[in-house]
Amino acid sequence: MAAELEHRAFLYSGDDDFLRTAVPFLEEGVAAERAVVVVARAANVALLREAAAGLGSAVEFFESESFYRHPVRTLNQYQHLVVGQAPRRVYALAEPVWTGHEPRGLLEWMRYESLINAVFADSGATALCPYDRDRLPPQIVEQARRTHPDLLVDGVAAPSPHYEEPLRYGAGCDRQRTFDRPRLAEYLPFHTEDLRDVRAFVAERAALFDLDEMTAQNLVTAVNEVAANALQHGVPPMGVWMWESGPEVVCEIGDNGFWQPDALTGFLPPRSALQRGFGLWTVRLLVDLMEVRAGWDGTFVRLRMRR
Amino acid sequence: MDETWHTKRAVSGVRPGDHALLPYGDLEERDRVMGTYVDDALTGNEKVVYVTDAPADRLPGLRPRTRARLDRYTRSRQLVVLSRADACLDARGRFAPGRLLDTLGREVGSTDAEGFRATRWTTDFSWMLDGRPLDVAAMLGCEHRLGDTVGPSAVAMAICQIDRRVCPPAQYAALRDTHEVLVEVDPRFDDGNLKIVQTFRPAGLRLEGELDHARHHVFEDELARVARLPGAVHLDLARLAFLDLGSLHLMAGLAADRTADAPLVLDDLPPGVLNIIEMVGWHRLPGLVQGRTAGFPNGGTR
Repeated sequence: MAAELEHRAFLYSGDDDFLRTAVPFLEEGVAAERAVVVVARAANVALLREAAAGLGSAVEFFESESFYRHPVRTLNQYQHLVVGQAPRRVYALAEPVWTGHEPRGLLEWMRYESLINAVFADSGATALCPYDRDRLPPQIVEQARRTHPDLLVDGVAAPSPHYEEPLRYGAGCDRQRTFDRPRLAEYLPFHTEDLRDVRAFVAERAALFDLDEMTAQNLVTAVNEVAANALQHGVPPMGVWMWESGPEVVCEIGDNGFWQPDALTGFLPPRSALQRGFGLWTVRLLVDLMEVRAGWDGTFVRLRMRR
Repeated sequence: MDETWHTKRAVSGVRPGDHALLPYGDLEERDRVMGTYVDDALTGNEKVVYVTDAPADRLPGLRPRTRARLDRYTRSRQLVVLSRADACLDARGRFAPGRLLDTLGREVGSTDAEGFRATRWTTDFSWMLDGRPLDVAAMLGCEHRLGDTVGPSAVAMAICQIDRRVCPPAQYAALRDTHEVLVEVDPRFDDGNLKIVQTFRPAGLRLEGELDHARHHVFEDELARVARLPGAVHLDLARLAFLDLGSLHLMAGLAADRTADAPLVLDDLPPGVLNIIEMVGWHRLPGLVQGRTAGFPNGGTR
């Protein structure tokens, strides 16, 4: 039977406060014979390895710096863990990396925390997400209250009064986006199911813009999928724009139709390739960021790839 | 099997000067190739010289024709069926390369006088491997000379058939090296962007070029056709330059209808496609398994 997710933000101050909650949390998980994992920043992993050494191999450790590199892929990794451990339930101390992101990336990691509620809603998993109140910008701690249904502050557990459902939270993220397109962006219209020209257009510019071969192939596959969707569901004229922007290469596929995706579209991992949504989810997996804008002037899917 | 060929040609593309090898994996493959080879000749004013002990109306792969029509072909010498004894054996029943070459030379030489555009020669050498010690040197020498006759000719072409199942690898490799062309079945589909060729050993399809939404229907049809075969079905993807996500969906859909012991095996996955599959996770593609990987012919199964 499906069991509910417990997703709690743990706002702590300093190492002692961290350990006072984190160690008993892990002990509880081990005692309950759950699949206990720690995914935390290297510093916190080191602290916990020492403080919870008595738990031995019952706890599996990962460092956040290598685990949290791409929100959609990280969700996929966690899902793999949850499915792989079933019927044991996962009991995770999960601490994302909040430093080193540009604003767009930061927004996606906040959305990621919210998506956990949708993706693992029926998993029966328990996730305790530590937020360092002393070091993190207040804006990040503030968002944690919106993305976690439950809070743990100063040893007191309570529902978060500011919690927002993932659909609503994601819509808020989408509203913060800007969709400027440089005048120098190159454009290629497409009309037919045969998308060879589109693929060649993207592949040539990807090489010109210094994307490595595998990244370029992933981008070509992603653009092809979005363009095929446009052909199937959209309205002409259709085309693809491409340009470079700082460290990123950007591709945008547009058509004149009015698609109304919701804020979860393409974020929920499908069970198999046969499930609806497999294509768009894979696109999100392949590129660094996929953004959708649907408005009066058409539907535009923007794919970003870091060089 | 990593085979390097100077030229790999669909049977419809065989042309004068080609000294080709058909290494067939099963009789269906042989019949499909030889059927086209013979038919193309008969409908194209070319002569067929078939060295075999089978009668004219039982030539491998020959498509159904009335007895009267076949008689017309044999009477006009457009279809010449020579027994092995007449074409290439000596009085004691041993393989006589000189005799075979004389026969070939004679038949090629009369092409023009008989009013034909070209002469297509073929025989199946598998009988020579039938349990008896093979004079490899004699056979290879014969093949070299056969190539010397056919190669420069403007009217002669030849297909030497060999049953891969009975040909030891070393002998096959030597035999292969004496032919400039490898012949195979005509593709099931070829629009210049995507080519789909049926494979027989292992059974499945070889995909070349780019597979995208515009070609899903034909891929789906061909896949469904081979999926009716029992056991594992292999897709040789070594020459696939692009595979879209919709095709993965199609493959998974088809594999889902098969039993666990009859998976869809993806051989020689190009690195870009393998990367995508691994990112998505094989578990999301139930019924698909990774097969042979380039450079490791027998390895790479997961």
